[in-house]
Amino acid sequence: MDQKNKNSKKPVYSKFSQQELPAWKPILTPGWVIASYITIGALFIPIGLLAWTASDSVVEIVDRYDEACVPDDFSKNPQSYIQNPNIKKTCTRSIKVPKKLVAPIFVYYQLENFYQNHRRFVKSRSDKQLRDVKAENDTKFCLPVAYDYDNKPIVPCGLIAWSLFNDTYKISTRGKDISIEKKGIAWKSDAKAKFGSNVYPKNFQKDGLIGGATLDESIPLSEQEDLMVWMRTAALPTFRKLYGKINTDIEAHDTIKVEIQNNYNTYKFGGRKKLVLSTTTWIGGKNDFVGMAYISVGGICLFMAINFILLYVFRPRRLGDPSYLSWNRHPIT
Amino acid sequence: MNKKYDLVLVKTSQVQKPSTKAYDKGFNFDDARLMSGAWRNEPNPDMCKEFFRCLAICHTVLPEGDETPDKIRYQAASPDEAALVVAAKNFGFFFYRRTPTMVYVRESHAEKMGKVQDVTYEILNVLEFNSTRKRQSVVCRYKDGRLVLYCKGADSVVYERLGSGNDEIKKITRVHMEQYGEAGLRTLCLAYKDLSPDMYESWNEKFMQAKSCLRDREKKLDEVAELMETDLNLIGCTAIEDKLQDGVPACIETLFKAGLKIWVLTGDKLETAINIAYACKLINNDMKQFIISSETDEIREVENRGDQVEIAQFIKEKVKTELQKYQKEAQTILSGSSGQKLAFLIDGKCLMYALDPSLRSMLLSFCLNCSAVVCCRVSPLQKAQVTRLVRKGANKITLSIGDGANDVGMIQAANIGVGISGMEGMQAVMASDFAIAQFRFLTDLLLVHGRWSYLRLCKVVSYFFYKNLTFTLTQFWYTFQTGYSGQRFYDDWCQSLYNVIFTALPVVIVGLLDKDVSVALSKKYPQLYKEGIQNTFFNWKVVGILALFSLYQSIVVYNFAVASSTSGLTSTGKMLGHWDVSTMAFTCLVITVNLRLLMMCSTVTRWHVISIGGSVLLWFLFIFIYAIVFVNKGTFFTIYVLMSTIYFYLMVILVPICALLCDFIYQGFQRWLFPNDYQIVQEVHRHESDAVGVGLLDIGHQLSPEDEIRYAFAMLPKENSKHTGFAFDSPGYESFFASQQGVVAPQKAWDVVRRASMKPKDKKPQNSQH
Repeated sequence: MDQKNKNSKKPVYSKFSQQELPAWKPILTPGWVIASYITIGALFIPIGLLAWTASDSVVEIVDRYDEACVPDDFSKNPQSYIQNPNIKKTCTRSIKVPKKLVAPIFVYYQLENFYQNHRRFVKSRSDKQLRDVKAENDTKFCLPVAYDYDNKPIVPCGLIAWSLFNDTYKISTRGKDISIEKKGIAWKSDAKAKFGSNVYPKNFQKDGLIGGATLDESIPLSEQEDLMVWMRTAALPTFRKLYGKINTDIEAHDTIKVEIQNNYNTYKFGGRKKLVLSTTTWIGGKNDFVGMAYISVGGICLFMAINFILLYVFRPRRLGDPSYLSWNRHPIT
Repeated sequence: MNKKYDLVLVKTSQVQKPSTKAYDKGFNFDDARLMSGAWRNEPNPDMCKEFFRCLAICHTVLPEGDETPDKIRYQAASPDEAALVVAAKNFGFFFYRRTPTMVYVRESHAEKMGKVQDVTYEILNVLEFNSTRKRQSVVCRYKDGRLVLYCKGADSVVYERLGSGNDEIKKITRVHMEQYGEAGLRTLCLAYKDLSPDMYESWNEKFMQAKSCLRDREKKLDEVAELMETDLNLIGCTAIEDKLQDGVPACIETLFKAGLKIWVLTGDKLETAINIAYACKLINNDMKQFIISSETDEIREVENRGDQVEIAQFIKEKVKTELQKYQKEAQTILSGSSGQKLAFLIDGKCLMYALDPSLRSMLLSFCLNCSAVVCCRVSPLQKAQVTRLVRKGANKITLSIGDGANDVGMIQAANIGVGISGMEGMQAVMASDFAIAQFRFLTDLLLVHGRWSYLRLCKVVSYFFYKNLTFTLTQFWYTFQTGYSGQRFYDDWCQSLYNVIFTALPVVIVGLLDKDVSVALSKKYPQLYKEGIQNTFFNWKVVGILALFSLYQSIVVYNFAVASSTSGLTSTGKMLGHWDVSTMAFTCLVITVNLRLLMMCSTVTRWHVISIGGSVLLWFLFIFIYAIVFVNKGTFFTIYVLMSTIYFYLMVILVPICALLCDFIYQGFQRWLFPNDYQIVQEVHRHESDAVGVGLLDIGHQLSPEDEIRYAFAMLPKENSKHTGFAFDSPGYESFFASQQGVVAPQKAWDVVRRASMKPKDKKPQNSQH
């Protein structure tokens, strides 16, 4: 700035303040529209096909057993059956294998109509207590399952832990038992950081209402994988949890015998229990959704590309035709 | 022969033009026959001398500052007065001091060139200006005892009071004045009269009596003055150009095209107002003009009878019948196919009655049919009333623009007040919402910045609405899955920072920088402004469509994310929990919402890219840190868990594209089948790049002052109206009307004697404006 303009109040020029930044001015011209649709279509359909084939190659067996495992005498009143400790809860299911299950085979239990995402349920836990042995009194949010009758803190406290799933499965085929590996079913991060290796279950399921499974007090929480899986609460009222892993193949057309300890009371709230056996691929378990979504979106895009081509052919207008300006269409009178 | 007595002064009211010659402010006159003492060689130098003396003596101006021609500043009730004194100074009659009884003039008129002489004139009486008298006189005594009355005033009143004889000069002056009037100049007649001491003494007695009168003093003073101001000798006329600023006609034409209705509210009298309206291209000959004026013979006749009640009734009745008549005419013209436009002109006195509650609605509906409305001779109060009438009555958005203190009322009454900073003081600017330096900048203010601002506001508001609706709806859908327990879908920190960090900056950038068309195109296509007037970009339809898309997007984002939790998602068969799903949904949501903004932008600068990309990056940065810092949170490690699955990446690509597909389809169809005007303009100029620097207002100009005048004349309409403007028609004298409305008139600025005696010794002006 020269001397003369020292007192000038003219603002300092910058492209930003003067709104003259170089700018890309995208206009949705026919070329752009069609190119975008075709590009998306061309990319999405192959991805979709890949994902869909992967999902298709997954073998998944689902068996609902909650109703079938109630003896006929109790079918009117399953509650009296499940709550009676004197009745044996063992129940055997035989399942046909339609296709060869290639190891690793994952065993899940699936609960339905179980609101693990209910607000009161979700907050009824103490992450501090799970992690840190010194914080065992940190049971602020755990009510009503915070202290036992002797007013000692329950570890792990809270409704989530209290309602730990306690059905067990034993699988055999051709008369041979197949072992279900229970290690490595929880996310590593949970075992490492969220559940303490020096925190042991205490006063858990001791008195009052028993909710679900008991825990071995000699095993630290960081190794209680069933608990870790259970405590990673599900988003929806229908959810699966990993139960274990089978490391041997199961041939097609074999019949699997599953010996179920049917302990978990879902009859009270009309919940359903299912046993799921599933293999996985790179995309995970059976999941047609991704593939289908990709294929649909890609298909819609190609369809729209055709539509727009037709539109541009049958309703042509010259790009930037001034006669389309409103004041040219309806001249001011 | 009398040509040289006529004086054209250009009152440059706003902008001081840089020019090669040093001109005084307000003086822009150059005639070799008169300048630098050359008038002495003209055939009748005595008359010239009287003329200039009259200019130097007969006024109510106060000098200020050093008593040298360069440094002195004149304070006057109206800029016109000061302009005339400045003119006298330039002709060698330098008025430099005033005391309550004396006027000091440094005259360089004596026989020899260059001889300077300080002359004092004793001011015996000042016969003040008011809007009924339309003239002003001063009785002064020369050193040698000569008694003279100098008078200047509107041609109509001065001509009535001229003595007989000198018909030739009267005729020529009349012709000149008509010419000047046609050119839109404000004219004054100058006259003088030699008095004999006896005659003066006897008159002065009456004057003193009238002056000390307690009742009807004003009226009596007028009557006494009337006795004195007779048998005058005409010495010439002056013409002052109240210069329209640069580019006013072009600006008004542009605004007119932009669909604005322009009403002129002025203190000038009808003829002047018509001329200005012509000059501004507001009115042209194709228009049907409707005029309601109080300057008709009928009204004057009634007024002469003097019965106030009768006058009021008469004028009201008259206004009513004319309005009704005009409305009918207007209806027939508008329903006809001629497409003729209407112009309506009304003066302040009639407007006072037209604004009566019984006539108001008729006035308004009639005015709204007219493309141009001119209200002249209106008081500041009436300006505000008219503004309020349009704003409240017609429920329109009003913008008032003005530069004078008398515009303050209407500036405050309007939705948007714009003040022009300039010669007339700062009151208008202080009262305004926006201050600009020249009228023509209004084009930029409205068509460029106003339009952009509207566009940006629409985008920002609707985007805020959209992004929160989308966000909240995903949460809403989740409620159905949680047994209506109100469990949050997202982590509370994510939820809180959504508006603060993850979607905040891009919309600010759009609000700052988005422009659909460039500065030059905004002005080239003023019609684009209509999109704002019709509120094209923010109405129920726009919001409704946006809400529908928002609904769709939320469904896509929520359901796609949630669909993932039904089966294992890695080859190790592990399941995702609630917080994993919500983190994924939130990631998709942030990307979707930010990309949606990109789809709303007409221009994409690097700041758009930085802010949009930055927002998404910030989210990732946040969750990367957040997910390892808070072990106690449900979100602990979620993002890392997610990123270990291929599923996550597939979803992050799929969800935003699927969610935005509908918008994209809609935009494609909308643009092709029902294009907005701005979109067509974008297409027309799609290959042009914005020139850098054109956004700056072009303030400099190339014309020399002479060319300016010639140009201004050339721009004036070629109508032959037989009117002559009148130099004291300036707004400063309008308190008369205000007093009629029951508003106490401010202290009279031209009460010279009092002001002179009050004049402070220091140089600070005490009352630069009343």
